[in-house]
Amino acid sequence: MTVRRDLVGAVLAVSILAVAPPLVGSSYLVGVLTVAVIYGLWAASWDFMSGLTGRENFGFALFIGAGAYTAGFLDTLAHLSPWWGLAAGMAAAALFSLLLGFPTLRLKGPYFALAMLSASAIMQRLMLIFWETTGGEEGLYGIAPLFSSPLAYYYFVLAATVASVAFLVMLARSPWGLILRAIRGDEATCLAAGIDVTFYKMVSLIISAAFGGLGGALYAHYQLQVSPQLFSVVTTITVIIMVYVGGMGSIYGALGGALLLTLLTELLRDFGQWRLLVYSLTLILILFFLPGGLVAPLWRRLRGGGGR
Amino acid sequence: MSALLRADGLGKRFGGLRAVKQVSFELAAGEITGILGPNGAGKTTLFNLLTGFMAPDEGRVEFAGKVLTGLAPQRVVNLGLARTFQLCRPFVGMSVLENVMVGCLCPRVRADGGGAARAMELLRMVGLERKAQTPAQLLPYGDQRRLEIARALATRPRLLLLDEPFAGLGKAEIDPLSDLIRRLHAQEGLTLLIIEHKLREFMKLVTRVIAMDFGEVIAEGDPEGIVQDPRVIRAYIGGTEDAHGAA
Amino acid sequence: MLEILLYGAVTSAIYALLAVGFTLIFGVARILNLAHGSFYALGAYATYVLSSTLHLPLALAAPLAVLCVAGFGVLLERVLVRPLRGSQIGVLMITLAASLVVEQVLLITFGSEYRNVPSFIDGKVAIGHVDIGGQRLLTLGVAVVALGALLLLIHRTRFGAAILAVSQDPEAAQYLGIPADRVFAQVMGLSAGLAALAAVLAAPFLTVQPGMGLLPMVKAFAIVIVGGLGSIPGSILGALLLGYSETIVAYLVSTSWTELVSLVAVLFTLVLRPAGLFGKRAAF
Ligand SMILES: Nc1ncnc2c1ncn2[C@@H]1O[C@H](COP(=O)(O)OP(=O)(O)OP(=O)(O)O)[C@@H](O)[C@H]1O
Ligand SMILES: [Mg+2]
Repeated sequence: MTVRRDLVGAVLAVSILAVAPPLVGSSYLVGVLTVAVIYGLWAASWDFMSGLTGRENFGFALFIGAGAYTAGFLDTLAHLSPWWGLAAGMAAAALFSLLLGFPTLRLKGPYFALAMLSASAIMQRLMLIFWETTGGEEGLYGIAPLFSSPLAYYYFVLAATVASVAFLVMLARSPWGLILRAIRGDEATCLAAGIDVTFYKMVSLIISAAFGGLGGALYAHYQLQVSPQLFSVVTTITVIIMVYVGGMGSIYGALGGALLLTLLTELLRDFGQWRLLVYSLTLILILFFLPGGLVAPLWRRLRGGGGR
Repeated sequence: MSALLRADGLGKRFGGLRAVKQVSFELAAGEITGILGPNGAGKTTLFNLLTGFMAPDEGRVEFAGKVLTGLAPQRVVNLGLARTFQLCRPFVGMSVLENVMVGCLCPRVRADGGGAARAMELLRMVGLERKAQTPAQLLPYGDQRRLEIARALATRPRLLLLDEPFAGLGKAEIDPLSDLIRRLHAQEGLTLLIIEHKLREFMKLVTRVIAMDFGEVIAEGDPEGIVQDPRVIRAYIGGTEDAHGAA
Repeated sequence: MLEILLYGAVTSAIYALLAVGFTLIFGVARILNLAHGSFYALGAYATYVLSSTLHLPLALAAPLAVLCVAGFGVLLERVLVRPLRGSQIGVLMITLAASLVVEQVLLITFGSEYRNVPSFIDGKVAIGHVDIGGQRLLTLGVAVVALGALLLLIHRTRFGAAILAVSQDPEAAQYLGIPADRVFAQVMGLSAGLAALAAVLAAPFLTVQPGMGLLPMVKAFAIVIVGGLGSIPGSILGALLLGYSETIVAYLVSTSWTELVSLVAVLFTLVLRPAGLFGKRAAF
């Protein structure tokens, strides 16, 4: 029952996202929505690992950046078909998560968060150190678009995001998701229930990273350039704030939070420099007054019935 | 018949403290054995060594012919040796049913399928079926203990270690739990190793007792014999009044 | 060689001031304070405003800046951290949000350009064959004195006794009549003041811009992980280790590689010895 209502809600939301640009007929809106949807993919991917297991990943930008730079390199250096960049971006991010996950996933929550934060901060540094290959502060530019029309690309990004988020939601509601939530509850009890905690944390980190990397690659082909700023803590924090607004652990809420925040801050676009300040103040307000977030609880109430 | 579990010279130190030293014993399949000992005797630590939650400094553990020493806890569970915790640790934010379902998802039983249905059956067995949808952390203490047991049973163990299952329970809750343990033993052929302080109920339940003090096994034998053993009485002097009651 | 010795000592001194505060508030209140870097940035900007805008003499502006930031630390603990202290992640998020707010407010107020903070000593001093900035030597000296004073404060005063008691067991301390909450706030102020002191001393020869707090925070974290969270001697040793490694890397390879040292340090420590290089010790 709730599943059917969820489907109806999803179809409704996607339809609105699909018809809004042609209805409004603004190319500006297409750009805004493309970015908003990519942020939604990032937020959902972050939520899949961190929201479900409670291991907050403060270095998520590393996976976004890895995906974006990989797509950028493949396009500008290797001159492969840009479509390969999407797959390679996912793979690169997954590889990074594997390498980093081994030492960091054993750590308790806050240490994991800070270790990942350090890793992404240093990655940003590496981009500057190896400026001859990475383009330093400017990064890579001249990346080829995947579609000639921005609207077509928007639809492609939307389709990719909807498919990815649907996959993540289904996984989160499967036994797999139950295990991840159990890990959040108590790791020792999980072990006592015969669950290989390390394995599940690792694989969900890899999945989260891979979709983050996909988002990074999509972003690279939208901006047609990538800069080390992508690796910055600010990217991670922005994504985390979106998840907090959406409500942790529901995945679709994260997507909603991202859309909500991006579109709302568009209203502030004449005050671009205020954007992050507004985000951080929002985070403080959410932490104090709405620890469960906004979007997912709202939807649960609208939909009725139990479940997530 | 060879032993189901064999502990051989187990030892564990915490800094200068030898929490467990030179502990050796065997459990035969189908036994209900008790571990008795005053606070800090090293009982929980022994459980941790048996189940892989801690690595022993010395000694080895064999279970059903396999060496367990050095195996991770979840591997031990998947070989059929499950445990409960002295302090209940349910999965916070999940329903009672979901708590048990996690146990049904371990590789040992996952292939059997029937996740939710089997979990529900286990809840019925421990008498929690009507609270299946309650958030686990809201359960009263006695129910949390039963949930612990249901979750451990979900992994379909051959040997179940219970760490003070009666602690903090009132008389009205103790009897049904004792019955449950007896039923598990009789119907499912489960082998049990139970840590307990509550001597009266305990002594009626177990067929053999291992008494520990200061990390060592100080006596071993049938319940009647053990409470008359001078070493055990000495260990309990000034300890629980229960010891005299049971004797 | 002498050059490495001197410059390494200065770097280590700054790191030690930062790391000691970070470890202190963790040891006492179990708070991993992501706003620690903001204290550093605020210290630099406060000095800048007080001396360059308000034209106070530096001898007045510097201590005033440290006091202001210490006050900000107390305020932060009282208003934002305390209500969320039950959850470690909540604390992490709220301090992170606070640090972002600080950075953005600095950015909006002062813009992103680099600011110059005046130094106490302008000239250079020749030690052996090495010319070293007087301000750097001053930094080293003041840091050593400050760390010494901190150790005395903790081990020889009533306030220190309260800190130790609370760090061991806040509840037991409460029964003994030590107000744990007040100690938390005071230690946060102390920790903020130390970070601000580092900034006041080092700002003249480092870059002052709104995002300047992040990297020092990452380094303080690295040091504290290497030295063992919650141990002051550990974090001083960790600071020396990181300060000298960075200086050596800067000389042997290039300054742009120095930042990698902390990552390698964090990852290696976490993999090999999660309790820190010097193991678990009693608090402080
Ligand atoms: N992780 C640990 N680190 C240090 N010391 C420990 C640790 N676990 C247990 N100890 C110590 O080892 C000794 C044995 O503890 P253990 O919990 O095994 O006793 P127990 O027999 O289960 O006691 P109780 O009846 O109180 O549950 C105690 O002195 C305890 O303080
Ligand atoms: Mg015990």
